[in-house]
Amino acid sequence: MGDSAPDIGHNGQVTSTSLSRPAGFTTVNRPSVVAVGTIVWLGSEVMFFAGLFAIYFTLRSTSPELWAAQSAKLTVPFSGVNTCILIASSFSCQFGVFAAERLQPRRTSWKLKDWGMAEWFFVTYVMGALFVIGQIYEYANLVSEHVSLSSDAYGSAFYLTTGFHGLHVTCGLIAFLLVIGRAYSAKNFGHKEATSAIVVSYYWHFVDVVWIGLFSIIYLLK
Amino acid sequence: MNATVKLFWILAGFCAVATAGYIVWGLADKEFGGHIEPVGTVALALVTILSVLIAFYIGRVYKAQGGELPEDRLDANIDDGEAEQGFFSPWSWWPIMLGASAALMFTGLAVGSWICFIAVALAAVSIVGLIFEYQRGYFAH
Repeated sequence: MGDSAPDIGHNGQVTSTSLSRPAGFTTVNRPSVVAVGTIVWLGSEVMFFAGLFAIYFTLRSTSPELWAAQSAKLTVPFSGVNTCILIASSFSCQFGVFAAERLQPRRTSWKLKDWGMAEWFFVTYVMGALFVIGQIYEYANLVSEHVSLSSDAYGSAFYLTTGFHGLHVTCGLIAFLLVIGRAYSAKNFGHKEATSAIVVSYYWHFVDVVWIGLFSIIYLLK
Repeated sequence: MNATVKLFWILAGFCAVATAGYIVWGLADKEFGGHIEPVGTVALALVTILSVLIAFYIGRVYKAQGGELPEDRLDANIDDGEAEQGFFSPWSWWPIMLGASAALMFTGLAVGSWICFIAVALAAVSIVGLIFEYQRGYFAH
């Protein structure tokens, strides 16, 4: 131990940082890890749907006659109304986020501007549920017209793309229930609760935008 | 943070150009058949969207934070970054429960679908436990 002492030289090659705080140092709002993490995860969800879109486009390019025959069975007006319901739910979701940002979990009166997060999210939940019901109704109609998951390439592509989207909507509905539950159970509705509401709204808007893409490709372009 | 924003915008620009190039290449190549190749086009176009999404959001966050984070400053000290980084629940068993039920779910998909029913029940319990952990008991707020 003793002989190692002469090996230790001076620290001339090491620079030390100044410990003086620079003038004009401002406090910085550290970004929320939950919010940034959700956006990065939604980026990976974009790529998940990229795979589904690729399946759809590839199968459509290989069998155009089948596509013409099968997509004629779609009821565009019904699905259009369903799409409008989903888009409207995004707006009510955003009003819920505004309430959450005011840290107001519940309504103070029945006037719309006094509604809290829970009321707006209940409205969103009902519209999202209506969308899923509409989807199931449409599936039932299509199955009765012999378009099913295993019937042909069109059926597989149609049910895989819209079905995975429907699963995402259903997961979003569960997330809304959990966030609404927090609005009732939190003694002090704080930034932690507001953050989870905001993050669920990011997800909901994302799922909504994906549906607009799916709707234009499957129903409008046929 | 600012460097991250710029990197993702550059990535978005590159992927947009790559998408356009890929479409033109598919149309120009007579051996391939002269049509748009869908898989690569969709993948490249959506990587562009992914980059735009992250670049736009991080850009908004950067504007909202009102200054550089200590880790982005050359003259910052280690202890400038010591403030709260986020909320991470200590001692919580719920994430591991949730992970285990997800693992059980995928086991069920691979082995026998009856296992999935057990996994769904476990997942329901664990997600409620995770979300409401700080809503009840000693740590309720």
